[in-house]
Amino acid sequence: MQILQEVQDLPSAGNIKAQWVSLWTGPAVGAVLVVALLAFPGFWPPMSPTLTAEQVARYYAEHTDWIRFSQITFNLCGIMLLPFFMVIVVQMKRMKTQSHIFAYCYLTAIVSGATIFALSNVFFLVAAFRPDRNPELTLLLNDLAWIVFIAPIGMVLAQFLLLAAAVHFDDGPDPVFPRWVGAYSLATGVAITPAAGAAVWQTGPLAWDGLLSFWLRNGAFAAFVVVMFFVLRRAVLRQAVAEGVVAG
Amino acid sequence: MNLLTPERYITTTDGDPAGKPDVRFLTWFFPVWYAVFGVIICVLTRVTPPPRPDVTTAGTVAFFTEHHLTIQIGFVLLLILLGGAPLTNGLVLYHMKRMSVGSVFGYGYIAAMSVGALPGFLLVGVCYLTATFRPDRDPELIGWLYDLGNLSYNGSLGCFTTAYVVLAIAVLYDKNGVFPKWFGYVTVWQVITEVIATQFFLFYSGPLAWNGVLSLWWAVVVFSVWLGALIFVLRAATIGEPVDSPGLD
Repeated sequence: MQILQEVQDLPSAGNIKAQWVSLWTGPAVGAVLVVALLAFPGFWPPMSPTLTAEQVARYYAEHTDWIRFSQITFNLCGIMLLPFFMVIVVQMKRMKTQSHIFAYCYLTAIVSGATIFALSNVFFLVAAFRPDRNPELTLLLNDLAWIVFIAPIGMVLAQFLLLAAAVHFDDGPDPVFPRWVGAYSLATGVAITPAAGAAVWQTGPLAWDGLLSFWLRNGAFAAFVVVMFFVLRRAVLRQAVAEGVVAG
Repeated sequence: MNLLTPERYITTTDGDPAGKPDVRFLTWFFPVWYAVFGVIICVLTRVTPPPRPDVTTAGTVAFFTEHHLTIQIGFVLLLILLGGAPLTNGLVLYHMKRMSVGSVFGYGYIAAMSVGALPGFLLVGVCYLTATFRPDRDPELIGWLYDLGNLSYNGSLGCFTTAYVVLAIAVLYDKNGVFPKWFGYVTVWQVITEVIATQFFLFYSGPLAWNGVLSLWWAVVVFSVWLGALIFVLRAATIGEPVDSPGLD
């Protein structure tokens, strides 16, 4: 993106530049998180909830280094996705036909959802900190880590529903996001909802290693980030052209 | 008042829909969500009124065994509906931002409530569900989850106290009349109950324990009055906002 020279010191140019940088943290952080994802032995395949305490303890003892590496990476970089989501907040606040109440609700849902994710990293890392701990305690930490990681989808669901509602109410002549983004966001929300069952079921598609709770939930979220990168890129570029920051 | 749809709940005296459509929707959502939340915490998961603090380890295991199914149903529902909290808190923030005192108290409110979501709300669900996930776990660990869940849920004080303090000050300072002044004084009582609740961490039984007459039941009465009042003043504030007023900055 080439910001026009005559406007580069204006606040409008600063706003576009900040959004552009935040937008590109998405793929940059995303690439790091994919490395962490591939490196976590407990994801390939996802650890079964039916393992006994001794099996879980042995798992942590045998894979200590890779569990530490991947969860430290999640810990350090997971929350770095927040600037990317803040671009969504800023774009929601550009919607002309509404009060921006959804943007503020979205912001607080992102904050609380990210806090929950951060807690799960700590549980994984505490379990890996002393692999020779009493296996019952390692099992408890592993349960807490997985349940906190997979099951509390409410905050994330609220984000998808709020974005869908914002797109729905953005019914003026020049909407910020295309209409389909609302339906797509809603569908992603529906896709992640069954994962709440991971706090109850130990086998089947709802278990934390299951088709719905692990693969569909995490896959739908990752796909949403990728799709929203292109949606946001277009929205920020359109804003930049409309405000005379870049050549149309 | 009719809760069936936002258009029938938020109305002028003539019965026409009032307020901005998006704010109207959240004003309708607020009591609906709290009603569902009330059923979950009071009927299904049994965290309010809470189980006893003066129990043996075997007693905590017996509690989770007896309420196993309803805890699982209730808290899985809550994991899904958790996101209603940002929506209801965002509505309060919205009306606080319309006050003459500017955004600072509103931001304080939403920031404090965002902190409260995890220790004051989610953690008890995670603890109860982890306890019911493996009923054959070492009873000492079940008891540990019982204490962590109940003390974090009942004993997360500062996040909510901060929110009530800034809300009360905002209402009492406001010159735009967004919320009535009496609601500010009702909110002060919420601060007082949170201060009394500090005693949860010290007593196993009696009026100041986490299930005590003073620390719990008095707080339940005050909270119910406060919540009912908030539902009422939010509806009035949404109806009273001109539809053509500009969006928040």
